[in-house]
Formats: sequence, C-alpha cells, structure tokens
Amino acid sequence: MLYRLKRLVTIRFILTIFLLISLGYAGYSMYYKINYWGFSLAPKTRANVWTVEADVSFEADGNPIKISLATPKSSNEYKVLDQDIVAPGYQSSLEDGRLILTSAPREGIQNVYYRILLFDNEGAKGKVEAPTPPAPEAPFFDEKQKAVADEILFLAQKQPGDLPQQIIRLFNQIPPEPTVVAFMPLKKTPKATAEIISSLLAYKKVPSRLARGIKLAENKQSFEPDLMLEAYIDGRWKLYDLSTGQIGLPKDFIIIQRGGNSLLDLEGGSGSVVKFSVLKSVTTSFSLAGKRAKLANEKDVFDSSIYNLPVDQQNSLKWLMIFPLAILIIAVIRNFIGLSTMGTFTPMLLAMALVKTGLIPGIICFAIIMTVGLLIRALFTRLNLLLVPRISAVVICVILIIQFMTVFGYRFSSSIGSSAAFFPIIIMAWIIERASITWEEEGAFNSCRQIIFSVIAALATYAVICNETIRYIMFAFNELNLVILFLVMLLGTYTGYRLTELKRFRPLVK
Amino acid sequence: MFKWLSKYFASPAKLREAGIMGMNNRNFKIISKFNRRRLFPLVDDKVQTKNLAQKFGITTPRLIGKIEFQHEAANFENIIKGWNSFVIKPAHGSGGKGVLVITAHDETGFTTPSGRRLAYKDIYQHISNTLSGLYSLGGQYDTAVIEEMVNFSHIFDDYSYQGIPDVRLIVYKGYPVMAMTRLATAASGGRANLHQGAVGVGLDIKTGKTLKAVMRNKPITHHPDTGADLSKIEVPFWREHLLIGAKAYEMTGLGYLGADIVLDANKGPMMLELNARPGLAVQIANGLGLYKVLKRVDKYYPKKLSPEERVDFILNGRKK
Repeated sequence: MLYRLKRLVTIRFILTIFLLISLGYAGYSMYYKINYWGFSLAPKTRANVWTVEADVSFEADGNPIKISLATPKSSNEYKVLDQDIVAPGYQSSLEDGRLILTSAPREGIQNVYYRILLFDNEGAKGKVEAPTPPAPEAPFFDEKQKAVADEILFLAQKQPGDLPQQIIRLFNQIPPEPTVVAFMPLKKTPKATAEIISSLLAYKKVPSRLARGIKLAENKQSFEPDLMLEAYIDGRWKLYDLSTGQIGLPKDFIIIQRGGNSLLDLEGGSGSVVKFSVLKSVTTSFSLAGKRAKLANEKDVFDSSIYNLPVDQQNSLKWLMIFPLAILIIAVIRNFIGLSTMGTFTPMLLAMALVKTGLIPGIICFAIIMTVGLLIRALFTRLNLLLVPRISAVVICVILIIQFMTVFGYRFSSSIGSSAAFFPIIIMAWIIERASITWEEEGAFNSCRQIIFSVIAALATYAVICNETIRYIMFAFNELNLVILFLVMLLGTYTGYRLTELKRFRPLVK
Repeated sequence: MFKWLSKYFASPAKLREAGIMGMNNRNFKIISKFNRRRLFPLVDDKVQTKNLAQKFGITTPRLIGKIEFQHEAANFENIIKGWNSFVIKPAHGSGGKGVLVITAHDETGFTTPSGRRLAYKDIYQHISNTLSGLYSLGGQYDTAVIEEMVNFSHIFDDYSYQGIPDVRLIVYKGYPVMAMTRLATAASGGRANLHQGAVGVGLDIKTGKTLKAVMRNKPITHHPDTGADLSKIEVPFWREHLLIGAKAYEMTGLGYLGADIVLDANKGPMMLELNARPGLAVQIANGLGLYKVLKRVDKYYPKKLSPEERVDFILNGRKK
C-alpha cells in the first residue's frame, strides 16, 4: 500500500513539476512576445508605426567633426523597431542613448540623416515611477530677484493646479503680469521660459528638467523639437506642457532627450540645424512582429512560428487554439462537477457552434433542430430499422432540416434560420439518436435531463470561449496550451468527490 | 445559506470520514490499479464469461447457442429446437439492455413473461438489432447469445413489482465485501435502476439479511407496490452466493468486480454476469462507505487464500 501511495504521489508530483515548467515557459514566452514581438494582451489587429527622421545639417569648418545627437530610447510607450543612419564617410556609434558620428576634417555644407522606426505600444502608456532625484541646487538669486521670485510664486497661487502648473499658467497669462515680464529674459523662447520656470521650481526645492521630444503627427516637418518641462512631484516625474500647463505625455509624443544635455553637440562645424520629419504608417501587429523579431535576432524563431503563416491558415489555427481550453472546461465539468452529458465532447462542439451563431439564435435553432429531429426519429422507431441505416437516415433528416432552416432564414432574413448551418450535422444526429434511445429506455424525464445537462455544459463552455480576448490570448500566446495539457493530466489524478456526489451521497452522513 | 447547503450537500470531509468512495476515486485508485484493461473482454463478452465460468465450476444459465452473423439468424429456429423457454441477450450488453425473455413458443409465435405475443419476424428483428450493435457498449457489432431461462426461485416474488431481482456482490481482491439486491417498482417502470426509483436493499455480507432499504435516497420499510416487509429479506444459499463472487476473482483476475447472481429454484445460485466497473449505488443501499471497507481488506484480510477459505473468513469473521 505504501508503495502505491508513493506511486500516486510520484505521478502527481511529476505532473506538477511539468505544470510548473510549462507555466514558467509560457510566462517567459509571453514576456518575450510582448517585449520583442510587440504582441499585446488585448486583441488589437492594427498598430501604428512611426518613422521619425532627423536631418542634421551644418557647415563644416575644416576641423575633425564630432556630432553627438540625442536619440529616443525604447520606453513602455514606444519601442524602437529599427534605426538606420545615412552619413557617408562617418563612423557611427551609440553611447548613453546618444548617436555619435565622427569624421575626418571636412569642408562645406554637411547633411546626415538618422531614421528610426517606432512602434506605438498604446496599451502601456502611463506615468512611470522613478527614484527620488536629489534636491535641486537653489538658484543664485540676488535680493531683487528673490523679491520678484517670491511675488511671482505668490501670484501663482491664484492659478489652479499644482505648483508647476500654477507657474506655467501665470507665465502664459494674457496680458502678462508686469512682475512676470520683469523676470523674463529679453528674448522669449520656449527654452528660455522653460529654464526660468525650472529655476523658480528649484527655488522651491522641486526637482525639474527639460524634455525634448517630437509630437508624432502625420507628415509633420519641424525644425525644432517640442519642449516640455518635467517636474518631480509626488514621487514621480510628471510632464507639463509649457503653453497650457497640462499634465502628462500628450498623445503621440515621443521624448528624445531629457535633462540639461543638449539635443545636438557639434565639434568642427557651425550653424547646425536639426530638422525632424514624421511619417505614420499602419500595419497589423502580427506582421509587425516579424520586423521586431528580426531586430531581436530571432528571425528564425519567428519564421517557424504560426504567426508567419498565411492569414487564412492563421485563422483556422486561431479556431483550433481555443479547443484545449474548451476541453479543459469539459474535463472540469465531467470529473470535478460530475455532470453527465450526452457524449464526452458534444457540449464542446455545441459551444463552438454557438460562438459562430450567437447565443440566442443558436439556442433557438438548436431547440428547433432537436424537436423536429426527435419527431422524425420517433417515426423511425416504428419502422425497426437497423442501426447504421437508421442513424444515416437521421443524419440526412438533420441535413434537410438545416437546409430548410437556412433557406427560411435567408427568405425572411432571420438570424435563427441562417445559423442552422453552423451546427455539426453528425453530432446533431447522434444527439437525436441517443436522446431517442434514452427516451425509450429511461423515460422522457431522463432523456430531457441529459439534453439539458449537455446544453448547460455547452453554455458554460460558450461563456468562456465566446470572449474575444480569451480567444486572442490563446492564439497569440499558444504556449498556454501546454499549461492546459498538464492541467488536464493533473485533473486525471483527481480522486476527490465530484460536486454531484456531495448531493448523491448526502444520505450517507448524518 | 449554509444550512441550505448542508441540507442538500454533504461536506467532502464528512464523506471521507465515512469512507464513501467517489467515482474519481473508484476509477483512479481502484479500477485502474486492480483491473487490467486486457481482462475487461472476459466480463464484457458474455460468451467468454460463460465458458470461463464453466472451467471454474461456477453455475451460469446454460448456453443454447449464439448468432454472430446476420445470415446465421435464419438458423435461429434450429438453435432453439427442444427449448420451450429461453433468453436472447447481446453478448456485449449492459444494464439489461436488449434482453428478450421468451417463456413459450409454438408455430404461431412467441410469448414473453408479460404475456405479449411476438411473431417470428419480431424475434428476427431483435436479433438483427443486436447484431448491428444497438444494445452493445460502444455500438460495435455484437453477437446474440441465446441461453436457457432461469427457473427463478419464488422467494423474491413478493418483493418485486416486475422482473426478478438479482443479488449484486462487490468483490475486492477475491473477498465479497458488500451486497445488495435491487427491486423494481412501478415508479422505476419495472427496471432495477436505483436512480430511476427502484428499491435498493443492502444485504449483510455475513448473513444475506436485510441491512437497510432505500428508495430515491430515502429509507423505507415496505415495498411501495407489493407492501412486503423489506426488513425480512434473507437470501437463502448465502454461502453459495458468496462463493460465486469469490471464485469470480480467480476466474477473471479482476481485483474489483461486481457479480450479479440469481437464484434458480432447482440449480441454486447462478452467475448472470460480471461487471468490471460496478457502480457505487451499493453504498447508498447499504448506508456504508465502500472505501473504508476496501482499506480494511488491504490492511487486515489475509492474502493467498482459496475462494472457500475467503468465504469462510467473511462468514466467520477474523477467527483463524
């Protein structure tokens, strides 16, 4: 007995280990697909891809050239899919998120291009937690400046919002406050404004920094990246629009560079201009996955995955990938709940049909086929036909019923009628045959009970697989099917009571 | 809410404590361990069971003949020549499906126990249906078995509404451990299925006397149709009943089996059929958990005894 107990433990133990391994694998694979292939957890067939091009032009002055250009980093919001540099004769390298181009001395107007392909990861946008930066150094203000600063801060309190918002709004007031004008530099550029606001924030011990980025808009050309202010408020960096004071990353905005570093440093040239242009394209997220896989040097893996198949084959696989989940539900219904249904996987196939027909039309249609089928089958009973010819006759009758209903459905544009064609013919015939035999042998009550149980099981299965997101996830992260495999096998070692047995054996305990 | 729950449902802990065996437990811990798959055909095929039983000295209704192929059905009248009453069964049937009993026949037709007259073509149709697999387990082609009709003892007459009750023994590792008899009622439509409303009577494995009687999960004292006092049942030839069950273990090699035994007025207890996956209703009829009993067999009952010794062990308790 001890040996048997041991054996039982071992089987369960091994299966549990496999389950954990498969869970780990699925988890890793999901992480991988999300991060490197750009799959999302929600069904989304289209994704935006932005092509951002920076055109750096300057006049070389005959000294060795070194260009240092800030580049966007992949973030949760945007993933860099691809980048390329058009700079003939230059040596390029990436250092600390900056593109470094060096070249021997040159003369005349120089043009280099830097192009990146960005993938818009819409699902993941939000504010990011960040470690607390050190308190900023207090700016050097003389007595007079201090007084003005105090007054500005006092005036700002009348504005709505938090401190940076108040200051930004005060600065944007029209007509401007005289105090603000006095404090402003002579040349009012966005950068100068931002720096003034930043110093006022530092005066109040609020860390802040400038952020340069590009507003992604179709076919946009601009000579100047957009400037925003970031302030560290309530434990996180928040972005502020310098003209409205609005908090948060504007839609379709990509940050190229943060902090005090310049956008472009140039040695060996002068009169530099950075011009940005943006192009938006839309692509399916699965076809995008190939590009991303290539980027991650995993092209081979991707090529032999199901997402590289032609779309129609993908669609039929998509349908297939939901089966394991449905099977799991059936296994739970039968071995854990203990509902006895007509045929093991009949409810599953019914649920599949319901997904295609829709719930209400499907159920009504099923009821009609069953009723008519049972009536015809009752006539057959009197004829005493042999088994195979009789079931064949039932199959043909089911086909005729379905044909009639489809024509009827088209004629009167009723969704109930037209959904008939989705029901599996052979399965329907077998349900009718079994129901009819049960009816004769165990009475109408037992027969109806079995049909109802089968429908309940089908509805439970339907409830899970009708969900578009679940269907998408089972397809996009198909390694989950491995987890289901071991779950089902583990269920095969379940020796506890079924739910229905708790009721059945109730009289045996006091 | 909780009260309502506990009125209709038992807690798993309590069921475990009572040693009740659930379906999953039966399939995983008992059947898959002690009943090897290749042994199943021995009990699923009634012809094989009969032949084996003969070798092991177990009485079964005598085989008159069998019809395997459609063309042999024409031979039917030759087969039954000399037999006035007989039974036609599917070799792979279960639960009494497709069993046709003929009590008498002449040139004009056949008579069933209920007095219904059948024509020759009806019998032929029944055989055809059997062969095409209408009554067999998986719907596969089947053989029609024709055997002698049991001359049922009349002691059960008062206890059953229709049909003749049989004794179901649960045999574990050769030890008969639980017994019951199922009595058809009007509510069950003359069928002996407990879930259809037949009466289940648990029998004391030592004596063959009534332990408890239930109908639709509730204890009863008298048969709802005949009014017979159910507590008075005492199966005669009890030792012979047990011996058939015990021998069935050696005969089939199945560690867990159900033996259906009927009592013939002249020949005594006869094995009707064996079952490699006996159901769990016997627990309800006995009001006892089967798992507890099986564990006791594992722990305390001696191994390597002959069938007779095992039956004596059951009848006399643990005395040496």
